[in-house]
Amino acid sequence: MKTPMIATLAAALLAGPALAQTADVSGRLVLYTSQPNQDAQRTVDAFNAVYPNVTVDWIRDGTTQVMARLEAEFAAGSPQPDVLLIADTVVMEGLEAQGRLLAYPEADVSAYDPALMDPERHYFSTKLITTGIIYNTSAPFVPESWSDLLRPEAQGQIAMPSPLASGAATIHMVALTSHPDLGWAYYEGLAAQGTNPQGGNGGVYNAVAGGEQMFGMVVDFLPIREIPNGAPVGFVFPEEGVSAVTEPVAILSTAQNVPAAKAFVDFLISPEGQQLAADMGYLPAHPAITAPAGFPAMDTIQLLEFDPAKALENAEEYRLRFVEIFGG
Amino acid sequence: MLVPLGLMLRQGLMVNGLPSIEPLQGALGNRSVARALWNSLDSAAVSASLSLMLGAGLALIVGLTNLRRKAVFTFLILIPMMIPPHVTAIAWAQALGPSSPLLGAVGLAPPLGSPHPLYGRGGVVALLAVQHMPLVFLVVLAALRALPREIAEAARVSGAGTARLLAKIILPLLIPSLLAAYALAFVSALGNFGIPALLGIPGRYTTLPVLIWQRLSSFGPSMLADVAVMSALMALIAIALVLVQSRLSARSRAALIGPPQPPLRLELGRARPLAEVAMILLLLVILGLPLVALIGTALVPTYGVALTPQTLTLANFEQVLFRQSVTARAFLNSTIAAGVAALVLAGLGALLARATFGASGPQRGIGQAVSTLAETAYAIPGIVISIAFILTFLRPLPLIGVSLYNTLTLIVLAYLCAFFAVALKPVSAACLQLDPALDEAARVAGAGWGLRMGRIFLPLVAPAAAAGGMLVFLTAYNEITVSALLWSSGTETIGTVIYNYENGGYTVLAAAMSTVTVVATVTLMALLDLLGRRLPSGVVPWRL
Repeated sequence: MKTPMIATLAAALLAGPALAQTADVSGRLVLYTSQPNQDAQRTVDAFNAVYPNVTVDWIRDGTTQVMARLEAEFAAGSPQPDVLLIADTVVMEGLEAQGRLLAYPEADVSAYDPALMDPERHYFSTKLITTGIIYNTSAPFVPESWSDLLRPEAQGQIAMPSPLASGAATIHMVALTSHPDLGWAYYEGLAAQGTNPQGGNGGVYNAVAGGEQMFGMVVDFLPIREIPNGAPVGFVFPEEGVSAVTEPVAILSTAQNVPAAKAFVDFLISPEGQQLAADMGYLPAHPAITAPAGFPAMDTIQLLEFDPAKALENAEEYRLRFVEIFGG
Repeated sequence: MLVPLGLMLRQGLMVNGLPSIEPLQGALGNRSVARALWNSLDSAAVSASLSLMLGAGLALIVGLTNLRRKAVFTFLILIPMMIPPHVTAIAWAQALGPSSPLLGAVGLAPPLGSPHPLYGRGGVVALLAVQHMPLVFLVVLAALRALPREIAEAARVSGAGTARLLAKIILPLLIPSLLAAYALAFVSALGNFGIPALLGIPGRYTTLPVLIWQRLSSFGPSMLADVAVMSALMALIAIALVLVQSRLSARSRAALIGPPQPPLRLELGRARPLAEVAMILLLLVILGLPLVALIGTALVPTYGVALTPQTLTLANFEQVLFRQSVTARAFLNSTIAAGVAALVLAGLGALLARATFGASGPQRGIGQAVSTLAETAYAIPGIVISIAFILTFLRPLPLIGVSLYNTLTLIVLAYLCAFFAVALKPVSAACLQLDPALDEAARVAGAGWGLRMGRIFLPLVAPAAAAGGMLVFLTAYNEITVSALLWSSGTETIGTVIYNYENGGYTVLAAAMSTVTVVATVTLMALLDLLGRRLPSGVVPWRL
C-alpha cells in the first residue's frame, strides 16, 4: 500500500507543468514490443508528443521472436532495449527472476487493481487482453459459458490456441484449470470433444472466421475489431469470467536511458496513455477509462483469478499435464 | 559463416566446457524430438521425390520438346517458389477449406465445421512438393541446356527412338543433376518452417523446425541450448546427405565437351496439344488455385467474409501500397539484399567450382568441405541462423569497432551464409559434367588462368551459375525466417512485413501484401527478361 500523500504528489507531478518535467528527458530510447505495427507507431507518436526530445527506436515482432532475440542478446552479453512492452506477466516474472528488470517503485499505480501490478514494481500492466469465446455466426448455438463448449453440438467444432505456442493460452489454461467449477476436468472434457489445440490466437480466429470450426477460445480484440468490418463471428465474455494478458511494460536493468524509460512507463500508465489503449481498441487496465466500442462495460467483465509468480513456478508441470491430455 | 554456426552449436554441444555428444543422445531419447525427427525425414524424403518427378518431368517437356510458348510456361512454373511458404500454406488452406469461394461456387466445399483436408501429413508433403518443384525444374533445365546436341543427334542418326534416346542417353547424363536437385529439394523441405507450421501443427504432425520454434517460444535460459542441439541434429542430416550425394554423383559422372546450346526439339506430333493442355491444367491447380484464393482474400474487408460485388474492396491494397511506408522500404530492402546475395553467391559458386574443378588432393578436399558447410547452413532453420548471427555480430567487430547489428549488411551476410548451398548446387552439378580436356587443351595452347576462366570455364558454367543466382534471389526475396530476428525499423524485409501483418491478425493485409509481392516479382522477372537479351545463351532460364 502506498501512502495517499505520495500518490497525490506523483499525480500532481504528472499532471503538473509537463514541460518542466520533460526538459531533462531526452536521448535515444530503444523499445521492443509485440504490439501490432500500427499500434506501436501510435504509442510512440503519442509518447513523442509529450516528450519531443526522446528519439524512440522501436522493434515490433511476435512475442516469440522478441524473446528469442532478447535471449540471444543476453547470451552475447549486450541486451539492446531500454524498455519492453510485451506479452504477459509470466514472461516478466521470468525476466525478473533472472534479475533482468529494473524496479521502479516510484511509479504511480494507485488507481489500479493491485492484482495487475507487480508488488516489487518491476513491471506494469498496460491493458487487458482477455480470452473469451468466439463463435461463427452459422454456429448451432451461441455459447454463454465456458462449460457450454462441452455440449454435444460443439463436438469437433472447437479451435483453441496451444499453450505450447501462445503466452495468452498458457495464462488461460492456468486460470481456467484453477477455477473451482472447471479445473483440469474441463480441459479433459475439451479433449474428449475432439479439440485440437493449434498455434496461436491468429490461427484460431482464422479457423472460426473461415468456418473450419464453429467455436474457439481467442483474445478479445481480434473479433471485436473485425466484427464492424462484417466478419461472420461473434464474441462472448463467458459467465465464469475471462483470463487476461496485460501486455506489461518493464525497464531492463541494463537500460542505457533510465530517465526516458521511466517517462515511457509513466506515460503508458497515465490516464492519457490508458485512453490511447482504449482508442486503439483495447480494454484499458485503468478502471476510470471507458472501454472502447464493442466491449461490455468494464464492471461487468469478470476476471478469473491468476497469480503470475505461481504460474511461472509451476509452468513445467502445467505444460506436461497439458501434453498428457492433448498429446502435445 | 563458420563463426556464427560454431558459436551456435557451442551453446548446445558443450558440457562443462568440453564438446560432448551427450546432449544429442539426450535429445534423441526424448519422445517428441524423435517423433519430429522421423516426421522431418519422412516429409522431406517423400516431398522431394514428388518434387523430383514433377520438376524433372516438366523440365524434360520444356527442355526437350517442341512445346509452344515455352518461355511463358517456364515463367509460370517458377512462380510457386516466389510466394513465401507460409503464404502458400494460407492460400491453400483457404482454397480448400470450408469457406473456399472457389469450391463453394461449384458446390464442392467441405461442410462448415469439417476438418480441413490439408491438415496433417498429406497436406504438408503435397505443399512442400509444390513449393520445391521449381528448384528441381531449374536445376534440371540448366543441366539439359548443357547437354550437347551432338550426342542426341548421333543417337537419332543411329536410329534411336525418343524413348530410347531418353532412357539411354539423356537420363544417364542427367543423373548427377537429378541427384543434386533431389538433395536440394530434400534439404529445402527439411528446413521449411512455414508449411509444417500452418498445416502440420493442427494435424499433429510436428517437424524439427516447428519443434525448434515451439522450444523458442518456451523462453527461459535453457532455450538456446535446446535449440542448438536440435539444429545440430539437422546439420548432421544435411552432412550425411551431402556425403551420400557426392558418393553417388562420383559414380555416375560423365564428361561432356561443348558449350551450352539451344535445347533439343523432339517432335511431340499429335501429343503436343495434349501435353500443352496437361501443363495448363497442372499450372491452374498448383498456381491458379492458391493465387485466386490469395487475391480473393485480399479483396474482402475482413477474413471470412464471402467475396461478392458488394463486399469487394480495394482498401487493403490502398492500405498496403499507399498508407504504409514500410511496404516500399521492404521491397527496396529485399530487392537489394536478395540481389546482392544472388550476385555474390553466383560468383562465389563459379569460383569455388573452378577451384575444385579438375583439382585433386587438398584443393578438392577444401572444396568438398566448403560445400558440405554450405549445405549444413542451408539445412539449419533460418531462425537459428538469425540467433547465431546475433550471437556473433551484436558486439562491435574487432579491429574496426563497428557493429553490424540492425543493418541491412547483416541480413545480406546471413543470406550469404544460409543460401550458399542453393547457388552451389547447379554449378557443381554442371561442373561434374565438364571434361577437363578443354581446360588442359587451352593450357597447352598457352592460355593463362584468367583467359581460361573467361573463355572456357565461365561460358560453360554460366547458365548453371545464373540459375543458382536466380534460385538464391527467389529464395531470399521472400524468405521470412533468416531475417526474422535480424530486421529492425528501417531494414524490414518483405517476408517479415507479411509475417507481421499475419501475426497481428491482419490476414487480409497479409494477403494484399503477398499479392503485391507476386506482382512485383513477375515485374522483376520481366526486367530480367529485357536484360537477358544481352546475356549469354541460357543465363535467363525462360529465354530459350
